[in-house]
Amino acid sequence: MPGLNASLYLGLSGLQAQQAALNVVGHNIANVNTPGYTRQRADLSAGRSQVEGQVYFGTGVTLSSVQGIRDRFLDLQIYRETAKQTGADERYAAVNAIGSALGDTGSTGIAAQIQAFFQGFQDLSTQPESAALRTSLLGKAQAMVTGLQTKYRLLDDQRGNADQSIAAQVAEVNTLTGQIAQLNQRISTEVTPGADNDARDQRKTLTDKLAGLVGINVVESSEGAYQITLDSGSAVLVTGSSAFDLVTKRAGSGGYLQLASNMAGSIVDVTSAIKEGSLGAKLDLRDNILVGFQAQLDQIAAGLAGAVNLAQRAGIAQNGLAGQDFFQNAATPNIDPLTGLQTADGLPNSISTGTALKSGSGWTDRYKGMVNLLSVNAALVKDPSLIAAAGAGGAKGDNTNALLMAGFQNDSSAVDMGGIPTGFTSAVAALITDLGSQAQNYKAQSTAQQNLVSALQSQRDSVSGVNLDEEASSMMTLQRGYQASARFISVINQLTDQLVNQFGR
Amino acid sequence: MSFRTSTATQLRQNLQDLQATQERMALNNARITSGSRIGSPGEDPNGTALILDFGNSIQANTQYLKQISSASAFLTSTEDAVNGALQAVMRLQELAVGGSSASVPEVDSILQNLLALANTQSQGKYIFSGTQTGTAPFSATSMVPYAYNGNQDPISLGVATDTLVLTNLSGDEVFLGGKNLAPGASPSDLFTAAKNLAAGLKSGIGADVQTAATGLDAALANLNKMLAELGGRQAGLQSLQTTLGNFNASLQSLQSAQESTDYPTAITEYSNDQTIQSATLSVMAKANKVNLFDYLG
Repeated sequence: MPGLNASLYLGLSGLQAQQAALNVVGHNIANVNTPGYTRQRADLSAGRSQVEGQVYFGTGVTLSSVQGIRDRFLDLQIYRETAKQTGADERYAAVNAIGSALGDTGSTGIAAQIQAFFQGFQDLSTQPESAALRTSLLGKAQAMVTGLQTKYRLLDDQRGNADQSIAAQVAEVNTLTGQIAQLNQRISTEVTPGADNDARDQRKTLTDKLAGLVGINVVESSEGAYQITLDSGSAVLVTGSSAFDLVTKRAGSGGYLQLASNMAGSIVDVTSAIKEGSLGAKLDLRDNILVGFQAQLDQIAAGLAGAVNLAQRAGIAQNGLAGQDFFQNAATPNIDPLTGLQTADGLPNSISTGTALKSGSGWTDRYKGMVNLLSVNAALVKDPSLIAAAGAGGAKGDNTNALLMAGFQNDSSAVDMGGIPTGFTSAVAALITDLGSQAQNYKAQSTAQQNLVSALQSQRDSVSGVNLDEEASSMMTLQRGYQASARFISVINQLTDQLVNQFGR
Repeated sequence: MSFRTSTATQLRQNLQDLQATQERMALNNARITSGSRIGSPGEDPNGTALILDFGNSIQANTQYLKQISSASAFLTSTEDAVNGALQAVMRLQELAVGGSSASVPEVDSILQNLLALANTQSQGKYIFSGTQTGTAPFSATSMVPYAYNGNQDPISLGVATDTLVLTNLSGDEVFLGGKNLAPGASPSDLFTAAKNLAAGLKSGIGADVQTAATGLDAALANLNKMLAELGGRQAGLQSLQTTLGNFNASLQSLQSAQESTDYPTAITEYSNDQTIQSATLSVMAKANKVNLFDYLG
């Protein structure tokens, strides 16, 4: 049978264990609002029994471990989905922001302005003699050019905005991966495996943040260290205690930032290898999505300039000479410098020579920059009588060429959209529908991802989150346990007193 | 088994629902105040494309209506001039029957009048010169038979998709009796007939007057033919105008169905969301009040 001293120690172990467990409860309560905090549980276990003859006596309680209650597979899933969610959010926000300007269906929209321009030719056909109608047509042409360019520049601005935030986000990514690598180091060298709960929580919070920025794949090694790669798998960001920085480089002066991964000296370009997260979305917007809209605008502008210029050349102006190009940029005229002749397609030389890029991905580059080069020929603005409203013969009241040009608005093959002949109205409608559907898709994606992430988070919270009621009840139990242990010690103390001081009186 | 709910989960879920409600309210709010159903193409890409399509058709039709009234204005001027010539020829016919040498000055003045009609200008252009609208079709200085200075080119206007309407008649076919004819070659050359009448009346030779009268008959028939043609073109334009007008009205109502806010729906949704919002807020406030700690002494 254990002695009174042993019983005192048994009581003491109870006091200590209850207090330690209360400490864990206190830590939980203190961190109830800490993002990413995982609740901890004190694991108490009975002390090793003492054998006296055939009887086993308990020796009290010990605190065997403080355990974080987590589901690490849920964590890995959340990282992946978070990146997709921020990616969709970012894309939706950007596409939606340009939606109302680019997709204007009113009188200031692209469609209405192009139509107004061709209607200017219709007006002119009623009175080819009228200088006022010619001037008004030039005004409409100018408004259309400005309208197209405003929209094009809006897209440029959006691309620029995306580009500007890339550098800051890359710096953030590098800081995060550095910190994660340090935490990996702490975790893999912990005294008891799985004991450093708070380091794991911190790492989880940092990885959550990282997943918001770049799409990542996370794998946890047997020692508990995270290995983090880009979602495309083309570069490693963190492995064990080392982090590999992303580096940025500008592509030429005024060019966009290119990203590369610096893995121990070997530089791998990853500009197009980040798919998700806010950074992946920004790169995608800058290099693909917004460029696609710009390409459509360029195609429309090329259709306009080419058709009208060729018709102008075939017509006769009021001075009795063949018409000049309607759209001509003084800086890059529609003249082939080698032959000195007008370009056959009526487009600026730099665009015409680009026609070699006719297949595959080259379609996006075909007519690239046409909107920026589009400008109403200054000679026509100065002398509106140079508009070639007349056909062959060039009689003063002849409106055949004006009628021809007015008819382009119904020409179903005026615009070369990636090799598919399309009318102006359909081309603009295609652009706007494209824009709208993309916005709709990203919104749907973003909502779906948000629901998924929030379901996963609820699941994670259900496992790892702090519930104050639960903590309050543990606190009550532990408090009672502590009180009882103290009472036990006081009883043993009375027994000792009885034995030492009262015995034999 | 009950699902463990952490203190943060409930609030986060509430907050997310609240935000979704507020987002819908903002959207409906914008719909109600702006009056348009679609604020950005992303809300309804197909609807936006339809609105654009209807808008294009309406804009095109409106322009065609404008073209029709221009064409109609030119045709009306031409019709007026031809009608005037017709009246003049009828007076000449009367004079051929009952006139004498005393009527010669009247015939001469009618001839001048016919010349003025042939040189009618509308909106600054000669309407009987073909496309040579800056040139008077018949010059007053040259002697009868007057030479035609214009050409035979038609002036057409687009009045509907791929539909052109002729807006002019050339001076030679109206006044000289046919296209590309030398002056005086046709019996229905008005000017020659009028001149012959004056000469016949002056000389009193009945046969000459008779020849002139035959010429006038032919000219009258020609003018009537021209009027019939002009009337036919005008009638075509009028029916086109009615069709386009009706078409535009129905397009506008279709566009407005796509474009305008459906107020009953928007307002119902809005007030529904308002109820949800206040319920959510009240639940959030209440849920935060109850906690085991409140009951611990």
